[in-house]
Amino acid sequence: MPVVNEPSERMRKFKNRGKDAAAMRRQRVEVNIELRKAKKDEQILKRRSISIVSMEKSPTPGEDKNVIIQLSLEEIVKAVNGNNPELQLQATQAARRMLSRQKDPPLNQIIELGIIPRLVEFLTRADSAPLQFEAAWALTNIASGTSEHTRAVVEGGAIPAFIALLSSPHMHISEQSVWALGNIAGDGPLYRDALINCNVIPPLLALVSPVTPIGFLRNITWTLSNLCRNKNPYPPLDAVKKMLPVLTCLMEHEDKEILADSCWAVSYLTDGSNDRIQIVVDTGILPRLVELMGGPELIIMTPALRAIGNVVTGTDEQTQAAIDAGVLVILPLLLRHAKPTIQKEAAWTLSNIAAGPCQQIQQLITFRLLPPLVELLDKGDFKAQKEAVWAVANFTTGGTVEQVVELVRSGVLKPLLNLLLAKDSKTILVILDTISNLFLAAEKLGETERLCLLVEELDGLEKIEALQTHDNNMVYRAALNIIEKYFSGEENPDLQPGTDQDGLYNFSVEKQDFDF
Amino acid sequence: MELSDANLQTLTEYLKKTLDPDPAIRRPAEKFLESVEGSQNYPLLLLTLLEKSQENVIKVCASVTFKNYIKRNWRIVEDEPNKICESDRIAIKANIVPLMLSSPEQIQKQLSDAISIIGREDFPQKWPDLLTEMVNRFQSGDFHVINGVLRTAHSLFKRYRHEFKSNELWTEIKLVLDAFALPLTNLFKATIELCSTHANDASALKVLFSSLVLIAKLFYSLNFQDLPEFFEDNMETWMTNFHTLLTLDNKLLQTDDEEEAGLLELLKSQICDNAALYAQKYDEEFQPYLPRFVTAIWNLLVTTGQEVKYDLLVSNAIQFLASVCERPHYKHLFEDQNTLTSICEKVIVPNMEFRAADEEAFEDNSEEYIRRDLEGSDIDTRRRAACDLVRGLCKFFEGPVTGIFSGYVNSMLQEYAKNPSVNWKHKDAAIYLVTSLASKAQTQKHGITKANELVNLTEFFVNHILPDLKSPSVNEFPVLKADGIKYIMIFRSQVPKEQLLLSIPLLINHLQAESIVVHTYAAHALERLFTVRGTNNTILITAAEMAPFVEVLLTNLFKALTLPGSSENEYIMKAIMRSFSLLQESIIPYIPSVITQLTQKLLAVSKKQYTFSKVLFVGIFLLISYNCSVIISFPEFIPYVFQVMSLLLEMHKNEIPSSYMALFPHLLQPVLWERTGNIPPLVRLLQAYLERGANTIASAAADKIPGLLGVFQKLIASKANDHQGFYLLNSIIEHMPPESVDQYRKQIFILLFQRLQNSKTTKFIKSFLVFINLYCIKYGALALQEIFDSIQPKMFGMVLEKIIIPEIQKVSGQVEKKICAVGITKILTECPPMMDTEYTKLWYVESSSSVGEVPSMLSTSLNAEALQYLQGYLQAASVTLL
Repeated sequence: MPVVNEPSERMRKFKNRGKDAAAMRRQRVEVNIELRKAKKDEQILKRRSISIVSMEKSPTPGEDKNVIIQLSLEEIVKAVNGNNPELQLQATQAARRMLSRQKDPPLNQIIELGIIPRLVEFLTRADSAPLQFEAAWALTNIASGTSEHTRAVVEGGAIPAFIALLSSPHMHISEQSVWALGNIAGDGPLYRDALINCNVIPPLLALVSPVTPIGFLRNITWTLSNLCRNKNPYPPLDAVKKMLPVLTCLMEHEDKEILADSCWAVSYLTDGSNDRIQIVVDTGILPRLVELMGGPELIIMTPALRAIGNVVTGTDEQTQAAIDAGVLVILPLLLRHAKPTIQKEAAWTLSNIAAGPCQQIQQLITFRLLPPLVELLDKGDFKAQKEAVWAVANFTTGGTVEQVVELVRSGVLKPLLNLLLAKDSKTILVILDTISNLFLAAEKLGETERLCLLVEELDGLEKIEALQTHDNNMVYRAALNIIEKYFSGEENPDLQPGTDQDGLYNFSVEKQDFDF
Repeated sequence: MELSDANLQTLTEYLKKTLDPDPAIRRPAEKFLESVEGSQNYPLLLLTLLEKSQENVIKVCASVTFKNYIKRNWRIVEDEPNKICESDRIAIKANIVPLMLSSPEQIQKQLSDAISIIGREDFPQKWPDLLTEMVNRFQSGDFHVINGVLRTAHSLFKRYRHEFKSNELWTEIKLVLDAFALPLTNLFKATIELCSTHANDASALKVLFSSLVLIAKLFYSLNFQDLPEFFEDNMETWMTNFHTLLTLDNKLLQTDDEEEAGLLELLKSQICDNAALYAQKYDEEFQPYLPRFVTAIWNLLVTTGQEVKYDLLVSNAIQFLASVCERPHYKHLFEDQNTLTSICEKVIVPNMEFRAADEEAFEDNSEEYIRRDLEGSDIDTRRRAACDLVRGLCKFFEGPVTGIFSGYVNSMLQEYAKNPSVNWKHKDAAIYLVTSLASKAQTQKHGITKANELVNLTEFFVNHILPDLKSPSVNEFPVLKADGIKYIMIFRSQVPKEQLLLSIPLLINHLQAESIVVHTYAAHALERLFTVRGTNNTILITAAEMAPFVEVLLTNLFKALTLPGSSENEYIMKAIMRSFSLLQESIIPYIPSVITQLTQKLLAVSKKQYTFSKVLFVGIFLLISYNCSVIISFPEFIPYVFQVMSLLLEMHKNEIPSSYMALFPHLLQPVLWERTGNIPPLVRLLQAYLERGANTIASAAADKIPGLLGVFQKLIASKANDHQGFYLLNSIIEHMPPESVDQYRKQIFILLFQRLQNSKTTKFIKSFLVFINLYCIKYGALALQEIFDSIQPKMFGMVLEKIIIPEIQKVSGQVEKKICAVGITKILTECPPMMDTEYTKLWYVESSSSVGEVPSMLSTSLNAEALQYLQGYLQAASVTLL
């Protein structure tokens, strides 16, 4: 009722400064519980190194394909724990081979053999590069499993050993170590920080050079991205500062996978508080991110868009930096992208820009973002429509009357009102709030009646009326409020006079504090 | 209370007494139960009784009492004592599920409700075993038990359909999914298998199908917030089976009832909802299944009969198609000409037909018929769903669809022409089809505002609507007459004026039709036509154009009020009032007869005999003063009566006659002000009283001043009527002797400020500004400032800064602008605090921003004399006009 509207009305005058803006900008962290399947377009957390026949031949010089020795688990334990270097290598190789097979690698059985500490010990055997390599590979694959599996590797003492191996003279060993460390870092913030505390970053970064082979560089980039990944807590600031210059270099590379993973890294770094975002903005990388966001490759576009989406959850200045980098030129293409997840991320990004001051809202108009927004609202995938509704809501909250008029002229009303049929209470509520905002603007222009007719013409009135019986209390109240305020000769209950003894209206009023 | 036989006996006695029809026995028993419900074991005693009592009536009574007890007491409110002791809570939760499941249906329902109330508070944290307990019953194989579990689960989970996403909610859903989704899926599969093994056993099928209905509902609840991983992985199972069930028919499940939906219909209806949910929210994942569902649902529609029991199913199914066909990426499912033709022919046209049930409503329940047909409360009807599908298809296929339907319309019209008395329903469907095809946007106020350009509305009007209305018998084919009249009414903004003029005598003629729907529609159409505005926003149909019809219009309107069933027809009354306001002085010759009929009407309604003097005005006048209840019993007439009275009063040159003064208190009766239609003429009448009789009121009726101001308060509380409140207030300020309203003055302002604070609309602000400036002119700027600041320190400054300065330019109207210009000038020049206190800063703001507007106000709205007067002021204040 009016009392509820009052504070928001007042907040509007502050042009979304302070509290209001924080509430409007929606970070990714709204809900931590997911009902859905893990997203298919997320970056992979851990990877296993699978034996392919061609790989079988080359990497281990000592291995002859004609004499692949099959060992039982018992034999493996025995050999690994024994002192014969030959047998140790054979057994480690056998274990690695089991762990590398395509289907059902016996991670648990190998762990249960209790040979992990021994394998970790093999990592330090600088005298036998093949043994080091086989052990590293085996451990990499164990670490690629569940958290349990990774923990077994870490508790076996693998972290310092792998970090030491980064500087191995043999490139394939150091590459395998990078991979193993990537798996450990991908497990979560705890092991990520354990690695960082063991000083993983300097030797890792030292591996990046103009002559590093592409395959190796891909592995390094991926491991770096896992070192940037995860919140609660974020990776330590100084670690981030060390990695960022290298990441920005990697973002100039021409390899797709390297670009994709470095974009993922940046997207993780920006998925946080404003000071985290600022560190990324300060590198001057935004124009490159925007460029990559507009590129043809989905695997690059996805993380680049995420990173930019994260940046505009930040302050007005940070958002402006993204705008200056050209985000508004690319967004229309993404809003019209065929893939629903891209549409959704683009609309989310737009919704956060629309939560900014009216100068930024004006830029949305200037760069012709409204037509694709309206299209998306009309025909987009539901996930994207939901974000588009937020964009419109924020626009109507922070926009000037003229800007809101422009939005209505773009045809936003029809698809917006249609979405009142959405099967999502929150979306309905946001739309009802938006409609109230539109009416506030119409009142200022003295066009309330025209808006009423327009809403009725577009079948909005009957939908709002129907929502008066919605099961969600807030939805029903919001609908009722709009109907009472604009679609009936409603009265203000606080001011209603009572009647006195002679049956006439009782002229009376209680004084209150006034503040217009 | 102990769990003893004695207590059970006592409780039984009291429960029995609560069923007694005699309040002297019932009330004390209810009081007693209330007084002991705080005792430990009370709920357990009730549970014992509902399980073990010898008498069925006590069992039921105990179960209802138990449920109400839970409803009132279970929730623990912060800072309030826990109303149920912990051991009782534990015992209830431990026993209620098996008890519910073993109880007969009547009691099961009460206990199931109680479980969901408890569940709402305790589930899942404080009732961790509930889910496992329920799931375990799935294996019982006893479908009465299983249905009990499913029903309880449904009442627990259905809130997932409307609550907002939150961590708490999703944690709960995740927990439910982990425990429930797999067993539910297995149960679903098992039940379907049992359906085929029991395909010939009617009673088994009924139980199994009620399980399936509940399972389908649970599916909807569990899938509502987001697509759960489990259901995505098992989509194949669910959707394949849903699809099969949609296409399934079994004679044993068909019901004889024509009205009530059977289990099969309920199940298919819920499956349509489930498919629609997936299509709307999880399109990406559901895409592979969607075409199959479109085909199945479409076949379902083709094979479903016209009976009322299928209505919900049919309307759900059509709405599903309507929502899918609008999506660009499913366009291809519909675009084939044969598909379109077949949808039009087999889905849309049959569902637009006028059914026996419609015919019944048309004849016997015309009020309901009108509400549905005219006022749009038809959301769930088949016609409406079919209409929505037409609009949906037109989004991409307007041309082809219009083409197909034109063919149908023509053939239906030909059928009609062959034998109208048998085939009139074909024409009804044709008209409905044209209407739904042509209308793209519609409002109550203007009718259809956007039409399909491919439909020639005027041609259809001339060839098919006019002839029906021209037919000499107004009572033949009443449904078609109503259709025709409705056509004119809704397309009033689309059909050219000369055609509208042609139809006016026809509409007037149909006011005589016997059918309530027909003469009501005729009256409504006339009333609407009289409000249509032309290109320059003037009334389209003028009084002069109506001149030839005035007599017959008035005669027929009044005659219509004498037709059976329409003696209090609001549409006709509105048409009468609208005619008066359109015709203005051209009704003067008819006033005597009109008034006679109005008073007769009043008499007829009151069924009381009164003697009226020959002067009819005085007759009505007396009627009002002697018996307000007469008026109240026929409220539609009042506005007109007041209008006539204010005309009479305004003609008086002198002080108000005492006979009028006798009426004055009656005019302040709240019951008159509750009807919005009364407000404008009543305000005008009170203004006439104030203009002529302010002094008389002040001297002879001073005790009525609060009542008068109460009316003002009533009006100011409403956004729709606040301007009327200001009319009244302005008259009070202008005419009442100042000392008579002195004591109320502050109150008036507080009230206005309150309204300003609560809902500040532009209309209110404009009226408010005019009023305070008028006040300033009447009482001086200093008085204005003083009264503001007496309400709250610095109030005057706040109003100046926040309201007057930013909003003054919005004031419109010559007189209003003039009042504001003078008022503002007075504030600037006559108000010492403006010059030498902290208000001074505002002086500059105001004089620069607002009085900057004064020149334009002056040039547009002031006469020379006033201008001179103003400039004198401005000079005195050394303000120079630009």
